Amino acid sequence: MHERRARRRPEWLRWACLGAAALALGVFVVAQRQSIDVSYGRSPSSSDGVQEGSAGELSDATVPPVDEMTAMLRANDVVRLPGSIARWDTRRVRAAIGGRDVRILVAPPGLDEAERDRVRDVDNATIRVIGLRVTGDVYQATADSLPGWRSQFATGDVTSLLLTMIAGLHDEPSPPDVDLLRWREPAAAEIGRVAAALRERGTYVGEGATVTRVPAERARSALPGGALFVVLPQQPFTAALPRFGPALTRLFPGRPIVVQYGSWIEYHGPRAAGFAEVAAASFYAQFGDRLSTYAYPQSAVLGAYLDRVTDVRYAGLFDRPLPYQPPDPLRVALPALPWVFAGCVAVFVVLSVRPGRRSSVVAERRGSPARLAGLTALAVEVSALTDGPSDAALTRAITALTAAREALGRRLAEPHVHALLDQAEAELADTARLLGRKDYRPDVYLRGALA
Amino acid sequence: MTLTWLGWLAGVLGLVAAGFGAVLLPRRRARAGGRATAWSTARSAIDIAAVSRDACPARVAEAEHLLARAESLAADRGGVAAAHQATEYARRADRLWRQAADA
Repeated sequence: MHERRARRRPEWLRWACLGAAALALGVFVVAQRQSIDVSYGRSPSSSDGVQEGSAGELSDATVPPVDEMTAMLRANDVVRLPGSIARWDTRRVRAAIGGRDVRILVAPPGLDEAERDRVRDVDNATIRVIGLRVTGDVYQATADSLPGWRSQFATGDVTSLLLTMIAGLHDEPSPPDVDLLRWREPAAAEIGRVAAALRERGTYVGEGATVTRVPAERARSALPGGALFVVLPQQPFTAALPRFGPALTRLFPGRPIVVQYGSWIEYHGPRAAGFAEVAAASFYAQFGDRLSTYAYPQSAVLGAYLDRVTDVRYAGLFDRPLPYQPPDPLRVALPALPWVFAGCVAVFVVLSVRPGRRSSVVAERRGSPARLAGLTALAVEVSALTDGPSDAALTRAITALTAAREALGRRLAEPHVHALLDQAEAELADTARLLGRKDYRPDVYLRGALA
Repeated sequence: MTLTWLGWLAGVLGLVAAGFGAVLLPRRRARAGGRATAWSTARSAIDIAAVSRDACPARVAEAEHLLARAESLAADRGGVAAAHQATEYARRADRLWRQAADA
């Protein structure tokens, strides 16, 4: 009973090991579908930022047919299509153009693919400004500093971009950026109005701003501690911007304050020095191109910015405490899986080797030893009677029997042993026939021996 | 990470080796067994032919030639085909001697 159990145990154990190995492999393969997440604390921001079309970035603005635009541009150096938002310092740009023939076509933002193609098809346009995106020939001028993005997105100022583009088109060195943005201290009445709204709702939405609702969930994960939002529409190019940030910081000390002018977002408040510039630079460097081409609603821009702040915060660059994250069992187990797999395979192989060898040892012998013994006994008995031809037959029979015994000893295949025994039996039958002794015929003799 | 891949590699190599072993070992064993069987048959046929030769009163040149060829094949220890060839020669020689003895 004990022995039997001991023999049966490896049988299920080895199949269990193979199953475990297959399971480890399967789990490992399935786990490969997980995206690579490099966030320090698994940032809850959605990883796909601003989505094409879904964020309402296409405006209602359209452009006239190509030949009409071409004719307009032939008549004027600068053509502003209705809805366009780009502005620039005409004096500086004209000075940069000098006497050259530079024609500028300004289109509104948020055009769809076909409309943008139409603007591109206007052949006599030297520089095209679609939204706030400045292109000419094969070039595109892009802001690359925070003041550059600020004047571009807060007031729609493309002066620097146009100057760079003009210089680039005529193989001249790029001029230094001009920052035409001016600040002013907000009037007491303005501050009072904004502060009252902030105290009441935490949000102030200026006249004309395209924010219906601040994304509260994203705001909480980005700026915990009750952030205040001031959202103003894109500011007029010529007017000075009200500097709300410092004034509100004095009124609400210790509260995060987000001020948005058009598509330009500023952060004021605690730890501003730590991450505000990093967040803004990475946000506008990545999305500046899209923001300038399309007419994103301000709420979409704000949401994407808050996601970026969340990412920065969760990147672990700044010593901000993170909420407790329970360890993911899969991620903990993943490094161990290959060893589990290898171990299971090893156990399976070790357990599989033994039964295979044992089965060959226990080669079943069906009757051949008994038959050999019987025929040998007959041969010995007959050997006293033989002479002449029967002697030869007997000797052949004994030779075949010797071969059969040898084959049996060397564990050759059973049919082979029986074939040799058949041969011996035939020779012995021949011997009995030659002797004329029916009782020595092997079939008769063996039946007698067995009876 | 390298260590991890080493684990997978070891496991997979183990499985592949086990698979090859499971297929090749019985096959090799069967081939060796078949060869031994064929030569056992050949040797018994040669021995039996030798007995028939000794029992035959006359000399049969053709049978002797055939047996000599069978014995030389057996001395060379070839494969299964050689063993079958040797068996065939020995049996033909045996038949010739038996006919000569009966006549």
